Amino acid sequence: MFLALKEMNRAKARFGGLMAAVGLLVFLILFQQTLQNGLIDAFVGGIEKQSAPVLVYSVDGQRTLQSSVITPELQAAVEAVPEIGRSAPIGIGTFSTTTDGALSSATLFAYTEVGLGSPTTLAEGRLPEAAGEAVASTTGGEIAYAVGDTLVIEPGGEELTVVGLAEEAALFATSTMYVTWPTYESAVASSNPDARAPLPSVLGIEPAAGVTAEGAVAAVNAASLDADALTRQQAADETPGVAQIKQSFQIIFLLYGLVVPFVTGLFFLIITFQKAGSLTLLHAIGAPSKRLVAALLVQVVAVIGVGLAIGIALYAPVANADIGGIALRFQTTAVIGWSVLLLVLGVLSALLSAKRVLAIDPIDAMHGQGLGT
Amino acid sequence: MRIALLELRRRPGRFVTATIILTLIALLLLFLGGLLDGLINTSTAALRAQRGDLIVYSSTSESSFVRSRIDPSLRQTVAAVPGVTEVGGIGVAQLGARVPGNGPRDLADVALFGYEIPPTAVDEPPADGEVIADEVLKSDGVEQGMVLELGPARTPVTVVGFTTDTSFNGQGSLWGSAATWRDVQNANRPDAAVADGVFQSLVVVADGSVAPGKLAADIDAATAGATDTLTITAAIDAIPGVTEQRGVFNQILGVTVLIAVVVVALFFALLTVERTGLYGVLKAIGGRSRTLFGGLVLQAVVVTLIAAAIGGGLALLLDVAIPPGALPFDLSVGRIVLSVLLLLFAAVIGCAFSLRRVLRVDPASAIGSAS
Repeated sequence: MFLALKEMNRAKARFGGLMAAVGLLVFLILFQQTLQNGLIDAFVGGIEKQSAPVLVYSVDGQRTLQSSVITPELQAAVEAVPEIGRSAPIGIGTFSTTTDGALSSATLFAYTEVGLGSPTTLAEGRLPEAAGEAVASTTGGEIAYAVGDTLVIEPGGEELTVVGLAEEAALFATSTMYVTWPTYESAVASSNPDARAPLPSVLGIEPAAGVTAEGAVAAVNAASLDADALTRQQAADETPGVAQIKQSFQIIFLLYGLVVPFVTGLFFLIITFQKAGSLTLLHAIGAPSKRLVAALLVQVVAVIGVGLAIGIALYAPVANADIGGIALRFQTTAVIGWSVLLLVLGVLSALLSAKRVLAIDPIDAMHGQGLGT
Repeated sequence: MRIALLELRRRPGRFVTATIILTLIALLLLFLGGLLDGLINTSTAALRAQRGDLIVYSSTSESSFVRSRIDPSLRQTVAAVPGVTEVGGIGVAQLGARVPGNGPRDLADVALFGYEIPPTAVDEPPADGEVIADEVLKSDGVEQGMVLELGPARTPVTVVGFTTDTSFNGQGSLWGSAATWRDVQNANRPDAAVADGVFQSLVVVADGSVAPGKLAADIDAATAGATDTLTITAAIDAIPGVTEQRGVFNQILGVTVLIAVVVVALFFALLTVERTGLYGVLKAIGGRSRTLFGGLVLQAVVVTLIAAAIGGGLALLLDVAIPPGALPFDLSVGRIVLSVLLLLFAAVIGCAFSLRRVLRVDPASAIGSAS
């Protein structure tokens, strides 16, 4: 143990370089994990944090809230399904807005009934009651709204007042405002003088008593080929882009995850070869193989441990940054999970070196040979 | 140099692990780069294809087609600005398209553009009700002569030809006349309806007498700030997310290259330590430090090139294996060349860390120490 640490102290550049490499890799993995979660939250957090257990899109919408339009015929067909308890229209649109004179974007999420589209994470204030009132998401967009703030829909000049805040309920990485239907209608008219009355983007559904959300989904989809019903979680997970983001990041994590044990394994293998003579001598004067392997593992754990510390130290300052409206959050679970995984992979990567150490024959010390020969 | 190459040939096993690590890093660089290019290209190709010099949005649109609205009087004002040769309206409707032969729920994601000035590789606007489709839609089963039904109103349009590299927001594009676009938009999106003569934006062709930046400012001044005029490049960068995606990915790529530098530095520093005695002997018999270090760099370059070749091959396989539309992955020759150059740069820089150690080797150490 003493020798292991002494050796690290003597070869600071060598071990420091490896620690820096592991640290950079850990930083990249954690940052990208946070970026992935931040992206998904910013784009579909609002779907997960709204109250309707089932959302019905039009098939034409391709599971995109802004592209879905529910025609009166489709609405009637869906509402006739017996497995449905309550149904209410939800309208979604992104508008240009000004806040304190600065131009920005806001997505309006309009609902007509509490429990069928209203935000579930109200942290401050109250739900909108009158036209012109809104609950703002605490994430999404570059503006941090507070209760009492106002914003103006452009170019028409319709004014919205923030009366409440909902936690992490953003859509499309923009400021997201939960409003009542009349506010939405006014916003549409205000932004486009040619617009006609907006149709619902989706329908919020509450299953009938005794019917599960999945049961309601199946019943609605069976009733109309133009309807695309999804549970709340399915709607979030299957929003176009979400699966792509997850797949892309999984490939990236896999590659980075492989680089860490390879770098560590290579380093310790070379080191073990280089000090083969010394290890043979130590073995010859009575140091048991177990102790030599333990020293190796101490170094591996120390390198990965310091690398993790460097990586986490680099990650912490950027973990709560805001990148283009995507609010990042320090991911404690990711930090713990990756730390354990990389530590295990690092130790496993040193097994080849440990095998070499165990193969040392003390008799080689008599003729100056070691592992490397 | 010859010894360095001989060592690589005679003892390849010594370099295998470093090659594997660099291969993984090469694959990471190529995958991340391809992903960035894919994301940017599928979002911006329709704008890149524009033949005009400027795009005119309404001032409050935040450079979004959907939120922009240019009425005929504003268009006249823009057309009258000195330096403007031609003005063409443009608008887009993003919808689901029912493709004959596909299942009732198997729709294609399309962006229907109504245009007046043809973009690169797109012909003059076809007759009303007809569209030119981007080739990416072929993977959805779209064929020439097919009638696609767009949106919940199932507005029919006939595909009369194909174009390439014109995707928008990750969707395959359709290019039709202004009237076709207006019909589709009004039938399917009552909240985004457009009156006759109204477009979402304008494409402006300049006569070259005024610099594009100056002309953009002149147009915005002429419309008293009712417009926000951008060069095509600026319009591409203004698409929400493009600048952020580019920035974040480039930072990640930069750190990955830095990791490659550290890996190469570590590997060759360890090799140099191992060869200290050998270098002492070589120096004692007249070998110069420059030659010894050159050999080290040569080995690093060869190992990197092998890793880059394997990584490039794997990335190309990945490109082929990814089903169309599954991931926005676009691996170009430029990206491969750039990644290889970055890796080579990392290899040479990484090797440079061993230079001091090579220079410090004392030929006298050869006496009795080299084994």
